[in-house]
Amino acid sequence: MASPAQQLPPGWAAEWDQNAQRYLFIETATGRTQWEEPFLDPEGALNPVPTASPPPGQHHTKRRQYAAGQTQAYYGADTIAPPPGPAYGAVPGQPAQPSQLFTPGLAAEGQFAQQQIGQPGQPPYYGGAQPEPEYINQPGFGQGPVYQQPGVGALADQFSQMNVGQKGLRLFTTNLLTAPPEPLELHRPPPDIILPPNSCLSNSPFANADPSYQRCTLNAIPTSNSLLNKSKIPLGLVITPYRSLKEGDDPVPLITDTVIARCRRCRTYINPYVQFIDGGNRWRCCMCSMSNEVPQLFDWDQVRNQPGDRWARAELNHGVVEFVAPTEYMVRPPQPAVYVFLIDVSHNAVQSGMVATATRTILENLDRIPNEDNRTKVAFIAFDVSLHFFSLPAGTSDSSMLVVSDLDDVFLPKPTDLLVNLTESRAAIENLLGRLNDMFTENHVIGSALGPALQAAFKMMAHIGGKIVVLSSSLPSLGAGALKNREDPKVLGTSKESALLQPASPFYKTFAIECSRAQVSVDMFLFSAAYQDVATLACLPRYTSGQTFFYPAFNASRTEDAVKFAHEFGEVIAMPIMLEAVIRVRASKNLRMSAFHGNFFVRSTDLLAMPSVPQDVSYAIEIQIEDNLTAPFVVLQTAVLHTTCFGERRIRVVTTALPTTSNLSEVFASADQVAIATLLANKAVERSITHKLEDARDALFNKMVEILSAYKASMTAAGAGASAQLAISENLKMLPVLILGLLKNVGIRQSAQIPPDLRAYAQCLLTTLPSQLLIPYIYPTFYSLHNMAPECGTVGEHGIIMPQPLPLTSERLERHGLFLIEDGQNIFLWVGRDAVPQLVMDVFNLPSYEVLRGGKTTLPVLDNPFSQRVNAVIQKTREMRRGVYYPHLYVVKEDGEPPLRLWALSCLIQDRADVLPSYQQFISQLRDKVNGSSY
Amino acid sequence: MGASGWLFLFSVLMAAGLLFTMVFFIIMFSDLECDYINPIDLCNKLNQFVLPENIAHAFLALLFLLSGQWIAFLLNAPLLVYNVNKIRNSNHMYDATEIFRTLPNHKKESFIKLGFYLLSFFYYLYRMILALIQESE
Ligand SMILES: [Zn+2]
Repeated sequence: MASPAQQLPPGWAAEWDQNAQRYLFIETATGRTQWEEPFLDPEGALNPVPTASPPPGQHHTKRRQYAAGQTQAYYGADTIAPPPGPAYGAVPGQPAQPSQLFTPGLAAEGQFAQQQIGQPGQPPYYGGAQPEPEYINQPGFGQGPVYQQPGVGALADQFSQMNVGQKGLRLFTTNLLTAPPEPLELHRPPPDIILPPNSCLSNSPFANADPSYQRCTLNAIPTSNSLLNKSKIPLGLVITPYRSLKEGDDPVPLITDTVIARCRRCRTYINPYVQFIDGGNRWRCCMCSMSNEVPQLFDWDQVRNQPGDRWARAELNHGVVEFVAPTEYMVRPPQPAVYVFLIDVSHNAVQSGMVATATRTILENLDRIPNEDNRTKVAFIAFDVSLHFFSLPAGTSDSSMLVVSDLDDVFLPKPTDLLVNLTESRAAIENLLGRLNDMFTENHVIGSALGPALQAAFKMMAHIGGKIVVLSSSLPSLGAGALKNREDPKVLGTSKESALLQPASPFYKTFAIECSRAQVSVDMFLFSAAYQDVATLACLPRYTSGQTFFYPAFNASRTEDAVKFAHEFGEVIAMPIMLEAVIRVRASKNLRMSAFHGNFFVRSTDLLAMPSVPQDVSYAIEIQIEDNLTAPFVVLQTAVLHTTCFGERRIRVVTTALPTTSNLSEVFASADQVAIATLLANKAVERSITHKLEDARDALFNKMVEILSAYKASMTAAGAGASAQLAISENLKMLPVLILGLLKNVGIRQSAQIPPDLRAYAQCLLTTLPSQLLIPYIYPTFYSLHNMAPECGTVGEHGIIMPQPLPLTSERLERHGLFLIEDGQNIFLWVGRDAVPQLVMDVFNLPSYEVLRGGKTTLPVLDNPFSQRVNAVIQKTREMRRGVYYPHLYVVKEDGEPPLRLWALSCLIQDRADVLPSYQQFISQLRDKVNGSSY
Repeated sequence: MGASGWLFLFSVLMAAGLLFTMVFFIIMFSDLECDYINPIDLCNKLNQFVLPENIAHAFLALLFLLSGQWIAFLLNAPLLVYNVNKIRNSNHMYDATEIFRTLPNHKKESFIKLGFYLLSFFYYLYRMILALIQESE
């Protein structure tokens, strides 16, 4: 379906969805949306069922009818013909009774098993003999998601207005025992935010922040804490305030006139949810109801120097805006960006090629380091058992090295020319980077004085602040912060394992606090093949809002390793960063931010200190309902006061308004499973460190049981008794499989084989990845490439068309097939043992499966369409998400080396893996627990 | 005044001192909640008092043990074990990075200790008076 827009029946529009990478079809009259292409049937009624050959199994057909039926019930539309087959759902206009709730799986008992067996008939390995693309068979989604997302534009506007009249969200129950997880569900936008009429000043679709900036676990906030407790769903906010802009994203509107209207009492920034009163001279705060004066220059256009249109102001139309801050918001003049590179030059580091790759990458990216105002400063310190400083005077290309061996009392060997202006000393910097590796090629020193090196860097930059970028290949062994190898295989898998995830030395915490005070943040790039104590070293980024990157057993002689590190390192140093930032989240009365998760230092009860804010890092905040909420809607506002890397003080304000509800079914219907999984991942990691890994797993499992029990008790007819089904609302259908994915993630998984460094790094990822990257990390994507539809991998109207994602079970693997499994950090190309030579030839340029080697690889681009399509799919996989990560590509042979095979198979989380249950077993465990517990 | 009289007089004074330390801790914690102090300064300040407080309490318990005041010793034993255990696990110090997460626990602990020192203050006072009366008879 290259261009569906032309083939649509009247009354339909197609909208490209960036997240799902497919078209979303919208019926313009009702706002109904679905993933499948609508067809005009002979009666003239719109029916989303394609008339082409029926898909294997009747499963999909029924589900489609269900979707159509529920749409009809929801909208009461009489233009839609009644769906054929059994009529599900409530009759239009009638309120849903718990006992009449529809459970789609019930009528389709046993079909899950049928689907698990796989598709009958082996399709040819490729060539597109399939009569229709797989995804036409996807269930239609009929609940009309109103997602106010840039790009949807006028249409979203249209249907958000229509929804104003609707009374809240409708709940649809599904039975987990019979409804298998559907990967596409995860690409759906969160449930609609249906605000009461007239709550927003603006008709703009951007009045509420896009979920990629800020999303709440519940899109309808319960009016009381007891109602929230009844639902058992954790209430929290997932924020990514400094999200990067991909091609096609709208930039954040900037307000340059420094007229910043804020509430006198609660300091809330003016936003689209305030009310103008007193003839527009005053405004009422949406959080505390305080009446405030409108600033004098609010209606004045300072650019043209004439009266302006208040209603056109960005802060009244956009949920995400940025103000240029006047001097009141500055403690000191905006600081320049400062980068101090600490490079490990001990024997291991040089031999692995890390030093060469790093210096080359810095050299190549010197022009990309943020330096618009020519104020950026850099410094380089090389360290092994002593510290090597480099004097880089401006205007010459000479650099000289100064060695300091006194590690107990670190001092700077020279007061000037160590931290230098990037523009002025450019020649000297280039010269140094060009020969740094050669200076140490003969270095046989083993040992690392990382602690003293950090102290020296801190001394150099503490008066300005900025970023320390550490590149280290060994365990710190000298001076302050020296660590011991505490890896003990006997401890792994026991209750003592969590001690290995806690910092071993208090130095890294106290130093981090000092850094945070001086506005210094630390990024860690770690490379060791041996134990490096990632858990301890990651403490520095953890409390100074930096990031940790880990390249275990890095070896630059493998091109793949060098490419991955160079790409990620280059992106990190080229990334525009926010400096000297503080974040405060304000919320309507009676809502309180109660706990914070992520990389920052909590400076007061609700203030997060971040010396620098990297792009595309996520934070999770738990919210407590302190007293009953009486307002019809609440507002959550995140404000980030920061200095841009080109020296401008700014405030980024992200505002989300959410309706309140006293109806438990609406609470369930508004739950956002992706946000819940993100919040639970953060909580699980915290628990695994403060308690035990086992406690973290139990807490996850019990949380899921609690939610299911609460749902069963209050939303189904079974109530407290035993039930043959396991009910959950349609919008939470993927939560159990996400929890299972978390339980099987390297950071949390029960295993005695996971090295503590890998575990600690996985935990770093779990707590920093934004939802877009986190979800594939816990629920990987799985494609079948050998029989993908002919258009997959070719360039469509909106970039490369991706194949249909499959459920994560090895039953989908075929012996003659080629599959791709990716979790955003790694890509596995699985080759079945009976792969025909033609396939191996076309993709790998090798004569047969036998000569194919497994492991890290770079796929050749060959002169045949299939190779190009596979390469396109891989390239798109690497580029489609925000973030700096560049996944490795591994070729995995079905009968290849067991470790790699098992690693790839561990991504298929719906399978059983030693002690870890399969999805079916997990669901039965949940059911037994839910039926056993008495609620 | 006999030995036990002196002992309990000393204990009364110690208990009063410990009592004030706990009041100080609690005031500092509520200052933190109201943003009057930042967590780094708070922890630096309180951490100076943690070990002296524990040592003072341990010293008192040791005195009871050496002088054969079994009841008084047994009353203090649980807290002594608790403190020793905390120091052995090296989590007796306040951690500025975790303080907001653990604040409710710290407050609870300080209130319980406050109550304990208050009760022991009156107990020591009673024992002191008792010792004085016994002497005078
Ligand atoms: Zn206010």
